[in-house]
Amino acid sequence: MTALLQSRKFRNTALQAGYLGFFLFLLIAAIVIGKHNLESQGITMGFAFLERATGFDVGFSLIEFGPYDTFGKMIVVGLLNTMFLGILGIALANIIGLIIALFRISNNGILNAIGTLYIETFRNIPLILQAFFWYAVLTHLPHPKQAVNILDSIYFSARGLYFPGLNVTGGAASLFFLALAIGLIIMIWFSIARRFNKIPKTTKSRIRMSIFGIAFLIGCIALVIGRIPETPLVSVPVLKGFNIREGIRISPELGALGIAMGIYGGAFLAEIMRAGFLSVGKGQVEAARSLGLSPWYVFSRVHLPLAFRAVLPTLINQYVWLFKATTLGIVVGFTDFFMVISVSINQAGQTLELIGILMLGFLVMNNTISFVLNRVNKAIALKGTQLRT
Amino acid sequence: MSNAAVTISGMNKYYGSFHALKNINLTVQKGERIVICGPSGSGKSTLIRCINKLEEHQQGSINVLGTELDDNVGNIDQIRREVGMVFQHFNLFPHLTVLENCTLSPMLARKMPQDEAENMAMTYLERVRIPEQAEKFPGELSGGQQQRVAIARALCMKPEVLLFDEPTSALDPEMISEVLEVMVSLAKDGMTMLCVTHEMGFARQVADRVIFMDQGEIVEQAAPEEFFGAPKNERTQNFLNQILSH
Ligand SMILES: Nc1ncnc2c1ncn2[C@@H]1O[C@H](COP(=O)(O)OP(=O)(O)O)[C@@H](O)[C@H]1O
Ligand SMILES: [Mg+2]
Repeated sequence: MTALLQSRKFRNTALQAGYLGFFLFLLIAAIVIGKHNLESQGITMGFAFLERATGFDVGFSLIEFGPYDTFGKMIVVGLLNTMFLGILGIALANIIGLIIALFRISNNGILNAIGTLYIETFRNIPLILQAFFWYAVLTHLPHPKQAVNILDSIYFSARGLYFPGLNVTGGAASLFFLALAIGLIIMIWFSIARRFNKIPKTTKSRIRMSIFGIAFLIGCIALVIGRIPETPLVSVPVLKGFNIREGIRISPELGALGIAMGIYGGAFLAEIMRAGFLSVGKGQVEAARSLGLSPWYVFSRVHLPLAFRAVLPTLINQYVWLFKATTLGIVVGFTDFFMVISVSINQAGQTLELIGILMLGFLVMNNTISFVLNRVNKAIALKGTQLRT
Repeated sequence: MSNAAVTISGMNKYYGSFHALKNINLTVQKGERIVICGPSGSGKSTLIRCINKLEEHQQGSINVLGTELDDNVGNIDQIRREVGMVFQHFNLFPHLTVLENCTLSPMLARKMPQDEAENMAMTYLERVRIPEQAEKFPGELSGGQQQRVAIARALCMKPEVLLFDEPTSALDPEMISEVLEVMVSLAKDGMTMLCVTHEMGFARQVADRVIFMDQGEIVEQAAPEEFFGAPKNERTQNFLNQILSH
């Protein structure tokens, strides 16, 4: 018994169990007391409102949505929009961040100066101002009748950016991208998980291609099923009367937020990536060059992978932080998760339940991001002791 | 086509205003084994790093395997493929396995198919006597093993010339001999080698010529018997006294 109490492992486990029990107790107590108090004021708790129709439309949705749809569905719309904006903003921030980081580490004085100027400008203007700024810019583009138009198929106008797309339902399109994203994640996992190390490279790349092929196929099936009947396969935007019809529309709200997140986040990511590039041992890069690898291969096979490993934990932090910035959607009227919850609180009451859904939603989404990326980080971590030269 | 592997003439190298190499003239024949020694900071590393253009020279000319080292970018990559380099701190790629370290450049720079590259890599890993470590990562190996992998990695490009920059000076004493053995066997096979090293036993055993450098100049060069037996220059004598006395 004393031996058990002395064991560090047992003590740790017991301590953890103790904490967990204590917090569960607090949580349950709070819920019970809260409910009792609310009921004594005649307010009923519950999630029945999720089944009620909203009675109004939303500005932007990836799936069909109308006034007869429920609050529950509207929250799903908001969730999807938040994820869409989050992925768009983070992807843009990564591209911009990488380019600016490369500017900053290059030997070219002009590129250096551009990089520094970029970072010092956009890192120091609050994100909310940048969102307003881009929204103002995008809504001051010409009216649809005078829209800037490229090859009669892409239109920039104050009502949004229009480009050709397929005549499918929004749900089918989301499914298509979801299938691709899942396929990509499985592919990455398959490439880096150590349990697949033994498979020869050529077989591995063949399996990778098949995974992608299957994901693509499933996506295409979703597109075929979701095809809008009696329309041409490709929908090209055209000017009809005072507005542009058909095609795919990126609303100014979504565009402004995506650009703002990309530019603001890119400034932060650039500094992290720059630190990553600088942390790579000069010796490794020289060794790669001395083997006769071209500058591109030195960069893509040695410099970048080592830099990425050095800063991935910091990057994860920034991704989670940037993802939460999607809640700014409300300032320009983008129907994100935060906005649909706010609207629902106004329309349906049930503040506590809705705030609960909001917090739970962000907890789940952000924890998923960090869980997946932490696994990646673990899988690609350098093995053994490292000599830095 | 001459038989020279490396021809350096009237070469000067500056780091900013610091004159690091002064009027270097050196010809290395194919199959020749050169050992370069000299006090720390004398420019030994700089000299051999100029040969594969990890450092740029400002005056004079360097000709490697018939190609002039100039600003032509295509030339540089091509020369580097023919000139292997082994570094003091091994400089393996820590994110790749030993085998991948060896196959990376043959597959990318020489477009060799993967199975062929892997077979070749295994032959060279056997040659340096660590085939059983092929699937491990560099960080999981001892210093001596890492340096032997680095040699195998360089050999996988089938270079005409091998440059060594103090390959044993970062190693614990008991690992030095395993690396030197590999280097001796390469020398016996007729590899053209330029080695910066203070392993005088190695120099005696394999070198065709020993070069002594000091303050950016080649002070003296001679065959090992002469170099160690009857050094002409006073600076060489002092240097040899110092390193041979302990
Ligand atoms: N990148 C550099 N920038 C400025 N000075 C350098 C650089 N590399 C080497 N030097 C200087 O050049 C001289 C020769 O250096 P090096 O070739 O490394 O000597 P060795 O290898 O013989 O010890 C030293 O005085 C050193 O301080
Ligand atoms: Mg040196």
